[in-house]
Amino acid sequence: MSSFSGAAAIAGIGATEFSKESGRSELQLSAEATLAALADAGLTASDVDGLVTFTMDSTSEIALARELGIGDLRFFSRINYGGGAACATVQQAAMAVATGMADVVVAYRGFNERSGQRFGQVQKWAAEQVNTNGLDNAWTYPQGLSTPAATVAMQARRYMHEYGATSEDFGRVAVADRRHAANNPAAFFYQKPITIQDHQSSRIIADPLRLLDCCQESDGAVAIVVTSTERARDLRAGAVPILAAAQGSAADQFVMTSYYRDDIGIAEMGVVGRDLWRQSGLAPADIQTAVLYDHFTPYVLMQLEELGFCGRGEAKDFIADGAIEIGGRLPLNTHGGQLGEAYIHGMNGIAEGVRQIRGSSVNQVDGARHVLVTAGTGVPTSGLILGGA
Amino acid sequence: MARTDEIKARGSSPARVAHDPVNAPMIRHWAEAIGDRNPRWAPGPDTEAPPAMAQVWTMYGLDPARMPGDPLPDTMKVLDDAGFTAVLGTNCDQTYSRTLRPGEVVSISTRLADVVGPKLTGVGEGYFITTQSVWTVGDEEVATMTFRVLKFKPGTGRVVVDKSKSSRPMINRDTEFFWAGTAIGELRVQRCNACGELRHPPGPVCPSCHAMDRGFVVASGRGTVHSFLVHHAPAVPGKKLPLTLALVELDEGVRMVGEVSGDVAIGDAVEVWFDPIDDEVTLAKWQPAGTPAPEPQPEEKSDLPVWELPITPTLVVSTALATRDFQDVHHDRDRSIGHGSKDIFINILSTTGLVQRYVTEWAGPQTQVLSCALRLGAPAHPYDTLRFTGTIVSEIDGVTTLDVTGLVSVGTHVNARLEITR
Repeated sequence: MSSFSGAAAIAGIGATEFSKESGRSELQLSAEATLAALADAGLTASDVDGLVTFTMDSTSEIALARELGIGDLRFFSRINYGGGAACATVQQAAMAVATGMADVVVAYRGFNERSGQRFGQVQKWAAEQVNTNGLDNAWTYPQGLSTPAATVAMQARRYMHEYGATSEDFGRVAVADRRHAANNPAAFFYQKPITIQDHQSSRIIADPLRLLDCCQESDGAVAIVVTSTERARDLRAGAVPILAAAQGSAADQFVMTSYYRDDIGIAEMGVVGRDLWRQSGLAPADIQTAVLYDHFTPYVLMQLEELGFCGRGEAKDFIADGAIEIGGRLPLNTHGGQLGEAYIHGMNGIAEGVRQIRGSSVNQVDGARHVLVTAGTGVPTSGLILGGA
Repeated sequence: MARTDEIKARGSSPARVAHDPVNAPMIRHWAEAIGDRNPRWAPGPDTEAPPAMAQVWTMYGLDPARMPGDPLPDTMKVLDDAGFTAVLGTNCDQTYSRTLRPGEVVSISTRLADVVGPKLTGVGEGYFITTQSVWTVGDEEVATMTFRVLKFKPGTGRVVVDKSKSSRPMINRDTEFFWAGTAIGELRVQRCNACGELRHPPGPVCPSCHAMDRGFVVASGRGTVHSFLVHHAPAVPGKKLPLTLALVELDEGVRMVGEVSGDVAIGDAVEVWFDPIDDEVTLAKWQPAGTPAPEPQPEEKSDLPVWELPITPTLVVSTALATRDFQDVHHDRDRSIGHGSKDIFINILSTTGLVQRYVTEWAGPQTQVLSCALRLGAPAHPYDTLRFTGTIVSEIDGVTTLDVTGLVSVGTHVNARLEITR
């Protein structure tokens, strides 16, 4: 175990409602989620001295601080690479707290991703950036490979070819997520479970991916309050200690198109996994439930392998008997995931991890002592292990 | 279309007299705008009017009071009311009995010949309206015209993929060699001059030996499919869906993402081909190995010297004004875009003038144009080039029949057949 493990904890979580049209600004969404998270922790804005978000977020740290009347900020930071940033925002907050750079740090992410800029459409600006990301995209965008679903479909096809996974195997992830969302009143797909047949008859988006392999587009915001574990224990909601927090980027990394490695899989998640086990001193068998970033179903299978829950190519067998549903060996995404609850760029998954440790999930896993949460895959990414106080 | 039948039944309209007699200033304006230096049009005691100006004399003005009974505006109104609000000239066949001279007063009489439709065309659903006109001086018939326009509903055309809407690659000094290669039909793979390592996508430093001394090899253009996908949704600008994209493992050992024409599976052999998306960027794309090469375009045949005319806004506007054609699509860019066009474009009277200039500059200033039948296609917009070629169809009894083609970047702007005597 590293000395960092358990030094900082999540003391509060907050969110707006999740919708397809919030009807208000992204700054307001983030402010609402932050106030909710502070209220959950029993803290006020004046306690906050650090803020962290994604580089993609449209709300600056100082704008949010002004809106909420936060005074002096001693720490502010932003993480790159889209949804891969999610768990790293909490990592940065925890590192700041553990090193004494700040006392109370809020990680936030808020957007109108459905009613505003939709990530599922072709983002022409991404190919026009005057930086190395723009240069990277020059090898794919002009050819027409320019949506997240298409970039994942390329890897999914190769994965199917090498390991014999099928579209139905991908569909089982969607079915599990939607089963969990059906119990979650906050989920967009509350009371709307699906079957494998629904998945198989949904329309093709980027063959081999179908509509129900792809996460939703959502408006909303989530905020997470991080402070020292010692202080959190005395706060209203108690402490959910951060046992491990890791970032990962692997050799020959690109954003969503690391196609030039011998194995075009998601090696960056292996980097994250190895460091989570190292920091926490835990092993996959110690995890009772996990929230695996599910913007596209094939990556959930590949994550199970990279994180060591099963061998390479074995995820289809690992999940075949309902292992990832409530009552199974490793229930996943008990809030419904980003396919079922909402797509808040992975931040809503961290909140669900906290609820599992607190014992307050709508799909509570019995004896959940350790929960693993991951951020966006196919990009430089991050992960957390949260544990009981 | 009972109302158009009524208009047809009215027959020829009463003769309408031109606002002005044939006159030297208008001839000079026209010759300047078209760039036609034929001395016969120059001011002087023997000035003649170019045949292509036949219609100019009887054009309505900028704020026209339409003559009651003119069948074309009446027919246009019927179709406007039915939602077919956009207009495109498609054919103009003129015959000329003789040239006109300053001082002569021209009259026009027009009848509605036909309204055919609705037809689904490239620009939309519409009706082809054909009118026939006769120009007279006194009792003498001096020219005739069969004129056809398409009245269509804007926005109902077939979807046409515009390659120019594709994302363009960012290019910098580390990657420009690749794009310089595709432009000349070479697939270039970066090679480290120090250790020989091949690399794609390229970059400034060799990750193996850290040398910054790099060159390239020209790849064979052959490879196998490592993975692929078929994109169905959402729309991708500049691409027709579904779109097959592959990760190709080149025989040289590096991988490249590219669009594939044709069906493929993992492990299939593919070969490169080069597709220019605009003047600056050429994409390397792939096709199943052994796909027959497209039929080579037959060598362009032209008996007349090829003439390339750069289209400028000045050319479009000055020729429109010199032909007294005040429709906004020929001079007002904003309003032209508002009508669904990408810019202003050359009007049909000016195209007629340019075709006749091309032929008479080749055949000699004394050439008499007897007839000129035009079929219009792609619009000629500013910043494009109009490329004229001409072939001799026949020479019988002193009458030479010629076919003239004018191409613009997006296709054929005009096909014309002329009869001339020299």
